[in-house]
Amino acid sequence: MEATEARQFDSSQNAELSLYKSSRPRWRGRAGTVVSTISTLIVIALIVGLFLTPSARAFREGFLNVHQMWLAFKGDPQKGILSVGKGFLLNLWLSIVCEIIVLILALGVATLRLTRDPVLVPFRGLAIAYTDFGRGVPVILVMLWVGFGVPSLNIPGISTQSPVVYAGFVLVFSYTAYVSEVYRAGILSVPQNQIQAARSLGLTSRSTLRRVVLPQAVRNVLPALLNDFASLQKDTAIVSTLGVAEAVHAAQIAGGVEFNYSGFTIASLLFLAVTIPLTRYTDRIMAKDRTRRLQGTPA
Amino acid sequence: MTAKEFGGVVLNAQDVSKSFGEVEVLKGINLSLSTHEVVCLIGSSGSGKSTFLKCCNLLERIDGGSIELLGHDLSHEQIDENEVRRHIGMVFQSYNLFPHLSVLDNVTLGPRRVLKMNKAAAEQRATELLERVGLAGKAKEYPERLSGGQQQRVAIVRCLAMQPRMLLLDEITSALDPELVSEVLELVKDLAEQGMTMLIATHEMSFARDVADKVAFLEGGTIVEIGPPSQILKDPKEAATKRFLQRVIASGR
Repeated sequence: MEATEARQFDSSQNAELSLYKSSRPRWRGRAGTVVSTISTLIVIALIVGLFLTPSARAFREGFLNVHQMWLAFKGDPQKGILSVGKGFLLNLWLSIVCEIIVLILALGVATLRLTRDPVLVPFRGLAIAYTDFGRGVPVILVMLWVGFGVPSLNIPGISTQSPVVYAGFVLVFSYTAYVSEVYRAGILSVPQNQIQAARSLGLTSRSTLRRVVLPQAVRNVLPALLNDFASLQKDTAIVSTLGVAEAVHAAQIAGGVEFNYSGFTIASLLFLAVTIPLTRYTDRIMAKDRTRRLQGTPA
Repeated sequence: MTAKEFGGVVLNAQDVSKSFGEVEVLKGINLSLSTHEVVCLIGSSGSGKSTFLKCCNLLERIDGGSIELLGHDLSHEQIDENEVRRHIGMVFQSYNLFPHLSVLDNVTLGPRRVLKMNKAAAEQRATELLERVGLAGKAKEYPERLSGGQQQRVAIVRCLAMQPRMLLLDEITSALDPELVSEVLELVKDLAEQGMTMLIATHEMSFARDVADKVAFLEGGTIVEIGPPSQILKDPKEAATKRFLQRVIASGR
């Protein structure tokens, strides 16, 4: 280095340094605990207070009536009220069957969209058109279109199916479009060098997809896949537009007969009872996969 | 180093050219490798070393000239690229282990899915190889838990499990922390002593001096100079080689 005078940089220059925040921390230690307890109590008091107002009573009576919930849940044939509980079983198995079909078909659509095989090029165009359409048109519109339109066409064997079949078809149609895009994002998220490594070992493009790309792709998009499953599970409610005796339709009937809408509340609770554990379960799988791969530190 | 006896020609490249769009990356590469021979490619980034290696196992297709592997023309229209690749191992700068598979499964994937070995036999071979490189204890671990040097040794073992005729090593120590470089290079030296035919792109000049039978200096997609390491690295004839080596020395390698 040159002589001191020539130095351009100097850590100990005389300018004032200010390394402190202008305000003091507001609460610390015990004081913090006390304050948070008080604020929690105030919020609880506000909520309870809100529930005691006259309007809230009407709300409780109309939406949270336990007796009405139970009535809607188990149904009453004499009053013509369908069981929300039984109806929900239909929502459940419809969503499970549809999800399984969606997971398989969407994988096919995603691989079609990514293929470079010249024979499959026209299908690739079709796959793109389909995903645009399936994702762009509201599910309820497709549901009405198919559910009311197809029976009116009088096509033998197709126009005479039960509404449940139409509903299943529509859900599969719409969700395959969504899920194929999730898969596609997952496949594209796998680095090119993984594919090069696999192909360098002599693996065919098919085995590379199956053994190297897809396992990583699915891991990367697992939260999105489960998110779409929760969404599909909720959208089985749209089937009610076709008059299928599922939970929402049953709750609608109960509401109409009893002039009380607690049936919708119990239907919501049933949906929540499935979706909340589902999302928690996803989080756990993800965390487990991460720790399995990253336990401990490199030696 | 004692004089080595080479066998027949493994790889023979004649006037190989390759372009990416407008950019001509390889302009007439001539290079031949015999059995047991180790050739190091040196040269700055972008000189075409990596592309040439990828042409040798058909990850890239050449535009002109020819590459023959054990007498078979790799540009032949009926060439089966998967068949070619099972006989040539390739190790990458960034290891490229499969993160969703354990070390053992990384090593057995090729033997099981390409060589159609049964699981027990593939695992036995993998375990023996991992033992040879001192990583048998890591067989059940996932790659992300290993150090860079360990991962790269696993990547080499993954190639060896395929019993390749030759190895292509593409700057395999460039991503490693300095203190981890030697464990990988020692392994490569062992392989050289055991007679593995290797084509190595590297920035490690001292390693090239120790392990190579021939060193080729690439610039602008051509081999400017090729010869024994003692000549190329100590007494280069071409001005371009001299300039490159001076820059390397200045950077402390």
